[in-house]
Amino acid sequence: MGIVKLPIGPQHPALKEPENFTITLDGERVIDVDIRIGYTHRGIEKLMESRTYTQNLYLVERICGICSYAHVENFTQNVEEILGLQIPKRAEYIRTLFLELERLHSHFLWLGVAGHEIGFDTLFMYTWQDREVVQDLLEMISGNRVNYAMNAIGGVRRDVSEEHRKKVLEGMDYLEKRTEYYKEVAINEKTILARAENVGILKPKVALKLAAVGPTARASGIMVDIRKDDPYASYPDIPFDVITTNTNDVLGRVVVRVLEVFESIKIIRYLMGHLPDGEIITKAPRKVPEGESISHTEAPRGEDFHYLRSNGTEKPERYKVRTPTLANLPAVAEMLKETYLADVPIIVAAIDPCMGCMDRVLLLKKGKEKPGELIDGERLRRYGIKWYAERGWKA
Amino acid sequence: MTTTEELITEVLKGLPVQVKRQRRMFLTVPRNDLIKTMNILSSELNIQHLSTITARDTGNDLEILYHFFLNGVVITIRTSCPKNDPTVDSIVNVFPSAVLYEREIHDILGIVPTGHPDLRTLILPDNWMGGYPLRKDWKQPAEQEAEE
Repeated sequence: MGIVKLPIGPQHPALKEPENFTITLDGERVIDVDIRIGYTHRGIEKLMESRTYTQNLYLVERICGICSYAHVENFTQNVEEILGLQIPKRAEYIRTLFLELERLHSHFLWLGVAGHEIGFDTLFMYTWQDREVVQDLLEMISGNRVNYAMNAIGGVRRDVSEEHRKKVLEGMDYLEKRTEYYKEVAINEKTILARAENVGILKPKVALKLAAVGPTARASGIMVDIRKDDPYASYPDIPFDVITTNTNDVLGRVVVRVLEVFESIKIIRYLMGHLPDGEIITKAPRKVPEGESISHTEAPRGEDFHYLRSNGTEKPERYKVRTPTLANLPAVAEMLKETYLADVPIIVAAIDPCMGCMDRVLLLKKGKEKPGELIDGERLRRYGIKWYAERGWKA
Repeated sequence: MTTTEELITEVLKGLPVQVKRQRRMFLTVPRNDLIKTMNILSSELNIQHLSTITARDTGNDLEILYHFFLNGVVITIRTSCPKNDPTVDSIVNVFPSAVLYEREIHDILGIVPTGHPDLRTLILPDNWMGGYPLRKDWKQPAEQEAEE
């Protein structure tokens, strides 16, 4: 069998989000990968220029449905920096609580997806059931399971009561017990070892060169964590460890995330034990003076980078978002080379990709088509065949 | 000042380095000196992590910001090019991780990184109508129609 080009996607290549991988195969072996993104553009950066800072609080949260809080935290930090606003200590602690709860539910979700990709659906069922504990805590405090709408410029909108505090600590006890079990499973279960060990290799040198971020970089032994390197919120106060492994493979990425769950539990216990008294919000002006600010946070998937340029009005001049998935994309292309086709889904899933986050720049109400035009299934099928034919594939 | 900040100040001595606040440094260079500056960052400061590239429309010019991260310090190199000649040297030979970010600014602001190996569309659709959506004079088709 000669060289074959295999288009995978854009309909959920590994998970339920659109992205296109064109994989060049020699038999079962992957020899080259080309990635096409942009299928979920919503034009958020452009849209933000025509919204006030208060409106943008809610827009920025909708960049992603999983790490939404990391985005809104970046946004508020940027605005507060230009305003020169110092937020109350209690608000900082509550924000950090949400950042870590978000990491917990994201890592549980990912562990389930990883299990699903390698045909280990029991793990998927278990972790997603446990994830509900975190979701319930988030809902209890903020009123929402996702897109919590907790942040305001100058602080947070809802307080953590004594009852909430107790429930959070109870939840952490339960999750710690469960994670002990997942740790056992991740290190000893043959199904995981067979599919994850020595799969999707990313050497430390390559990871550095391609600027990989988050658990993907840490599983290649790179000691990088924005919470430690460039501390924000209340992280300077909190003792915790940065988890790394040096196996450079998918298994390492599993181990890093499972161990990070323990660190998050540790951080949340510290926060709940040391929650300062006082106000949760300070008053902020509506207009933001001219200036620029950079904020980056350690989102569950890695460094989430935001840049704000303000112009003295109620609306931003330019807002830029770089999500961790885009930063990890060159690394994925590298990991996929010289692997087997059957390993492609788990390798792609191992960076915990989030296409909704990654594609965000353009608001497209209509292209060349007439406004509001509907394309039926048959036309869409023909369009697809034509699209691939133009690029040299036969139907 | 951390040791990293001192090191950066030392290496970039004589250049207009601006310290915005702790762990945030900016350096403005003319576009002709961009590659020279990138080489200094790469070889003398041993910077490897390019966080991203931001570009924006400032009226007559397009401003480009290269955000690097080194031991807790975000250092940003600022340069610009005029709108009637929107070219700037590609930095992919120095920082390979710039590939996608340069394609992104090419898509949305029409900045051409000369020497870039692959300038295919990254995030705009294949049947994109043309134009650079993040330029201030770009209008949504609906807005444009309403005006006409």
